[in-house]
Amino acid sequence: MPPAPPAAAQGRGLQRATAVLAALASSLLLLFLAVPIGKLIGAGGADGVRELASDAELRAALALTALTATAATLLGVVGGTPLAWLLARRDFRGRAVVSAVLDLPLLVPHPVAGIALLLLLGRDSAVGGALLAAGLRVVGTPLGIVAAMLFVAAPLFISGAREAFARVDARYEAVARTLGDPPLRAFRRVTLPLARRGLIASAVVMWARAVSEFGAIVVLTYNPKVASVLSYDRFTSFGLREALPVAAVLAVLALVPLTALRTLRDANDRGAP
Amino acid sequence: MIECQALGARQGSFRLTDVSFTVPAGGYGVVIGPAGSGKTTLLETIAGIVPVTSGTLRLHGADATMIAPETRGLGLVYQHAYLFPHLSVAANISYGAVSASVADEVTRRFGADELLGRPVHALSGGERQLVALARAFARRPAVMLLDEPFSALDPRRRTLVRREVRALHREWGLTTLQVTHDFTEAGLLGDVAVLLDTGRALQSGAPDELFRRPASPYIAEFLGAENVLAGTMRVLEEHAPDWLEGEAATIAHGYRAIEFTSGPLTLYTVGDFPAVAGHAVIRAEEIVLSPEAPSGSARNRYRGVVVEIATLGALTRVTIEVAGVPLVASLTTRSAKELALATGTPVTASFKAMAVHLC
Repeated sequence: MPPAPPAAAQGRGLQRATAVLAALASSLLLLFLAVPIGKLIGAGGADGVRELASDAELRAALALTALTATAATLLGVVGGTPLAWLLARRDFRGRAVVSAVLDLPLLVPHPVAGIALLLLLGRDSAVGGALLAAGLRVVGTPLGIVAAMLFVAAPLFISGAREAFARVDARYEAVARTLGDPPLRAFRRVTLPLARRGLIASAVVMWARAVSEFGAIVVLTYNPKVASVLSYDRFTSFGLREALPVAAVLAVLALVPLTALRTLRDANDRGAP
Repeated sequence: MIECQALGARQGSFRLTDVSFTVPAGGYGVVIGPAGSGKTTLLETIAGIVPVTSGTLRLHGADATMIAPETRGLGLVYQHAYLFPHLSVAANISYGAVSASVADEVTRRFGADELLGRPVHALSGGERQLVALARAFARRPAVMLLDEPFSALDPRRRTLVRREVRALHREWGLTTLQVTHDFTEAGLLGDVAVLLDTGRALQSGAPDELFRRPASPYIAEFLGAENVLAGTMRVLEEHAPDWLEGEAATIAHGYRAIEFTSGPLTLYTVGDFPAVAGHAVIRAEEIVLSPEAPSGSARNRYRGVVVEIATLGALTRVTIEVAGVPLVASLTTRSAKELALATGTPVTASFKAMAVHLC
């Protein structure tokens, strides 16, 4: 076999060096993302599980977190699904503005989101005052937690749901319409089942994001404490050792929806409708 | 009846503009046109999926412009079938069926009964089209819109399904509008043909009329006319050559005898053509080849030489060169063999005056 020309050999060497550099950069980033969480679970996981049995405040915080995140997710799904469908299907005036507004909560620092919500829902505001008059106190109650979670996490659901609807060819709906379905029935019988996996995945992401929220909640409702606030409270009051078990349990809790999400996506990738 | 009057619609950046044609009640219309000409958009506009922006759309005499798709009483079959992937084949067919017996009947007639046990995602493109046809017909609509519904079927199945669609159309008195790329299909099925290009209806009428009397050289070429010659025309009046006396009957109906010059060729024709026409169209199947000048009423005669022979099954296309101008004739392969044609063979090409269309 004749020796490769110098230019070709040089090209292959450059390709190999680029591949090595890319692999190194990716590995370092992956380690940076995984090691802190791994270390956290390793250092506090066992204590966290033990504390679940003995620490009533931790159990209450976790239950409150799950409950409020679920309530926020349900509200997000009910209000966000029609909005996501509209954004995916209809070309209307102001669609770009609506999309930008939906991205805002993802971009502002979360304590700022909390302050904005306080301005809207605080007792001195018109809305807050009206709600208070109707017997609904938002600030300092689980309602405040739900409001904060909804504000920061609903855009994630809407964005994911919009993608899920966009992936369903509008011609399926068109066929259903010509087969006698009014728009809502076509949506229920065709679009919803076809977008189902994407919608569930988006709801899971929203729930996970709501569970991990801290900045907006701490401004609206410090007490009763959700798990993230409890973790912060124990860290500032008692130090790292006391905060570790709570933080580790929260990290494990985040792994549950993530695993569910990956399973759903894998099923999707295997060609399920 | 489907009646479009200066119909306009918009889908994204694509516009359907000023489309006018009528398919009579119980008629079979075909829409032909190049890719991207708006054929599917036209069907979707008639179905109510794409909103009408201008003009009027009437279905069976009633204004349908503002009627929702589900109450227009029509069926729509897309080329890609769009079977609901989360439902079984049977559930797809019965989705909007007017009754179980009608669903069973159309399932059997389209041969989709063999597919009932198969999951939708395992069906081939052709099988999907069969199920989509059964699904649309099971609703028993008054108007059927078909977007290349046979394109994925093998030739044998296509013939059978086309026959079945035609039979259902006749038995149920449907008004049908079908998009097709297949000119043979257009001729076989259509009572009315609409030629669409860049969102506009260039010409509509009986398919035979479209093929024989295209409104422009572009339409002629699109419809497969092989001989489109550019040139100039001259009305002959009393200077008509003697042989045009044979066309006296048509001239008596107000037609004019015309001389058309295209380079070295001079053609004669009779018709009610526009005052100024720059092109002559002669369909390949109108040209007769013979070793010597034939007798009869074919009066445009040219001596030329065979330059190319292409056999396409039962038909053979022969290109001859007449004073540097190529003319294509289509004849049966048997005739071509009998004439013992070969490249370089001198032949006479002839065609009747009535075979020349000016546009």
